[in-house]
Amino acid sequence: MKNPDAIVIGAGVVGACTALSLVNAGLKVLVIDRGPVASGTTGAGEGNILVSDKEPSAELTLAVRSRDAWFELNTDIGGGFELEPKGGVVVSRSEKGIANLKKLSQLQKSNGIEVVELDAAGLRKIEPLISESVEYAVLYPGDAQCQPMLAAAQIMRAVRKRGGQFIQGENVISINISSGRVIGLKTDKNNYSCPIIINATGTWAGEIANMAGSYLPIMPRRGFILVTSPVPKIVHHKVYDADYVANVASSDADLQSSAVVEGTESGTILIGASRERVGFKSGLDVAVLRQLARQAISLFPILSNMLFLRAYRGFRPYAPDHLPVIGEDANVLGLWHAAGHEGAGIGLSPATGELITALITGNKTFMDPTPFSPKRFKESAHVRI
Amino acid sequence: MHNVVIIGTGPAGLSAALSAAAAGAPVLLLDNNPRLGGQYWRTFTEDTEHEQSQHFDLETGLILINAVKARKEIEVWSGAQIWSASHQQGVNTLRVIYKGVEKIINTKNLVICTGAYDRTLPFPGWDIPGVMTPGGVQSLLKGHGVLAGKKVVVAGSGPFLLPVAAGVIKAGGSVLELLEANKSHRWLLSPLTLLENIAKFKEAFYYIKTISAGKVRARFGQAVVAAHRGDHGELESVDIAVINRNFKVKKIRNVKCDVAAIGWGFTADTSIAGALGCVQVIAKDDGVVVSVDNDQQTSIPGVFAAGEITGIGGSDLSMAEGVIAGLAAAKYVGCDVNVLKVHRKRRAKKQRFADALIKSYPVKAGWKSWLNDQTIICRCEEVDLSDLKHAIEELGATDSRTAKLLTRCGMGLCQGRVCGRSVVDLVASEIKISPTDTDRISAVNRPIISPIPLGVLAAGE
Repeated sequence: MKNPDAIVIGAGVVGACTALSLVNAGLKVLVIDRGPVASGTTGAGEGNILVSDKEPSAELTLAVRSRDAWFELNTDIGGGFELEPKGGVVVSRSEKGIANLKKLSQLQKSNGIEVVELDAAGLRKIEPLISESVEYAVLYPGDAQCQPMLAAAQIMRAVRKRGGQFIQGENVISINISSGRVIGLKTDKNNYSCPIIINATGTWAGEIANMAGSYLPIMPRRGFILVTSPVPKIVHHKVYDADYVANVASSDADLQSSAVVEGTESGTILIGASRERVGFKSGLDVAVLRQLARQAISLFPILSNMLFLRAYRGFRPYAPDHLPVIGEDANVLGLWHAAGHEGAGIGLSPATGELITALITGNKTFMDPTPFSPKRFKESAHVRI
Repeated sequence: MHNVVIIGTGPAGLSAALSAAAAGAPVLLLDNNPRLGGQYWRTFTEDTEHEQSQHFDLETGLILINAVKARKEIEVWSGAQIWSASHQQGVNTLRVIYKGVEKIINTKNLVICTGAYDRTLPFPGWDIPGVMTPGGVQSLLKGHGVLAGKKVVVAGSGPFLLPVAAGVIKAGGSVLELLEANKSHRWLLSPLTLLENIAKFKEAFYYIKTISAGKVRARFGQAVVAAHRGDHGELESVDIAVINRNFKVKKIRNVKCDVAAIGWGFTADTSIAGALGCVQVIAKDDGVVVSVDNDQQTSIPGVFAAGEITGIGGSDLSMAEGVIAGLAAAKYVGCDVNVLKVHRKRRAKKQRFADALIKSYPVKAGWKSWLNDQTIICRCEEVDLSDLKHAIEELGATDSRTAKLLTRCGMGLCQGRVCGRSVVDLVASEIKISPTDTDRISAVNRPIISPIPLGVLAAGE
């Protein structure tokens, strides 16, 4: 492709959604990834599309739009990525936890989120195999799930069909800048001229910002997911402990986990989600796996006899304030960031693409994007966290 | 505290245990089977009189098994399933399910002798009940005394087809066809090795005698290229093709049978070594094996490997390697012992024979032409060839890992043990590239070595 209007770096789900949005807006788009589609954090996620785990905030507004955008996208590109409006069930077993959950769900409700309170009997009607110890839950019919790798691959397929180009196996090594403005980039194989570059490299977004002489404080947070052998469906929703909401917002470096249990279209049961700040530490941490197994069994005792088949590990990209970074770079014109979605990247991708596209094309955005602006880090520039 | 931990009780593991114990090292010997001997010397009762018929050389096995049992320095854990292994700062941690509970073994010294399993190739109908691997048929015979079916077709490539065919005949079944895909004269490529290892002929003639008595004639340059179902879903017949040197089909005939035992040599089981982080390399047959030095030591000091996981070579080479690994491991823990020249010489001779084997029984690329779009590639997840093509052509997969994640090919219960190697070849051939070593190595490695119940995982510390 000669003279693309925009280059998206990264073919994970955020890059794919952004590329599709830009293509739909009529731009000539080139996507570059050092690996195949979804070879980073997208390929190690559960595919959460959640509205239940966020307090009323800019992020919730983004999540609500994104949830709807996923279903529009599904129709637009013809599906093929196991999008399922399965609904989420959040449980709590302590007096304090239940009080907090009630409070949170009421707040969410007043912000337009559909919530259904469930007593012990109501819960057993929709999740018959849940532990007897659970007597209170909130159902969020808006929560959904997809297969994230297939989603990224199908969206990239649509991007190509609509005139975009996808180059894989090229590693970006420098961002070319002239007078404070992006003019192109260089990979290990080629040079590309382009006035607009979108950095959708997730956990590695800080490196791209550095190449441009700018700064973005995105760090990895490690998470494991356990997968069982396939069985007939015994878990019907995404079921999780209210502690998960507290963990998502936590800044604690230590291992945190609270079981998120869900059945999938393919019959496997996924058990997430741990969060640790240990850098890009590889290997399998058995202590984490055990803790997740214990928590999952405490929600669904039947899981005790099921076979644990495999585990996967991902590095969730997070910013110090745990909000995604969506907008133009603080120092370099023409460099846009769409990164730092932590564990919510799959869910927030389509709306992220819409925001970026509206900002680039000068159109009206569906919400005020200021809370996500990379400029919020300007003051702490060059302070490594 | 055990000084040397050995995994596997086939020819390599037993040899390693005996030589380490003889050198004065206490040994913990782990195996996932109920009885010692591995797949090669698998038995189903202690009544060996009854079992002789299924083995050419059970005597050697019994000598080793009884010697291991007699040695008080060797503690044996049979039926021990290792589900996870990791290496950190010189210590190897094995998490083992033994007698229903999880045990954790920390050791600086380890000898890995985990052997190999049958290599399969997908073809139309290979998922029909009745299509088996030769190893599966032999396991039923050796381990349970059960004949898989009355009318059996034995096919594929490699010398292992002979004992399986002979075993079926001895158990009262009839071998309708014995088909070797390669030409018989390929052995002439290695004339000196043949003369040097003349004793091997004794074994071959032992099987051929049985096979001839069963009025079976081996055919060369032929292969089973399709299988067909009967009314009840079971195997009814197979298509047998005359194939050319590159395995392309020339003409086809149909043969009715109950069982088709089809194997294409072996794939080393490197999963424990891989989980520890031992360097793996690609052997001449494109299989993944563990890299070892002259003392059978892997890239991790103190971790040794012997037998099929360092390269497919049969029981004699496995024993030669096992002896060296056991001695070297004993020396590593401080025993006053050395690997002798004679040990290395013996291994070298057996290694030449193994190399000749690989040269004589190649699996040629033409097997892919036997498949059609509806041919199942991953039996666990029911992924067919058209799904793989879709992932490549439409979804942009350019390597086997992405193709796997987009189709679930190799993500089922066997975790790619059966199809992983074929998927690497199929994906590469669709994209018209050669598979990288990384593709091949990642296809046979898995962090969770064997599935375990979540309850057992949760109960561990």
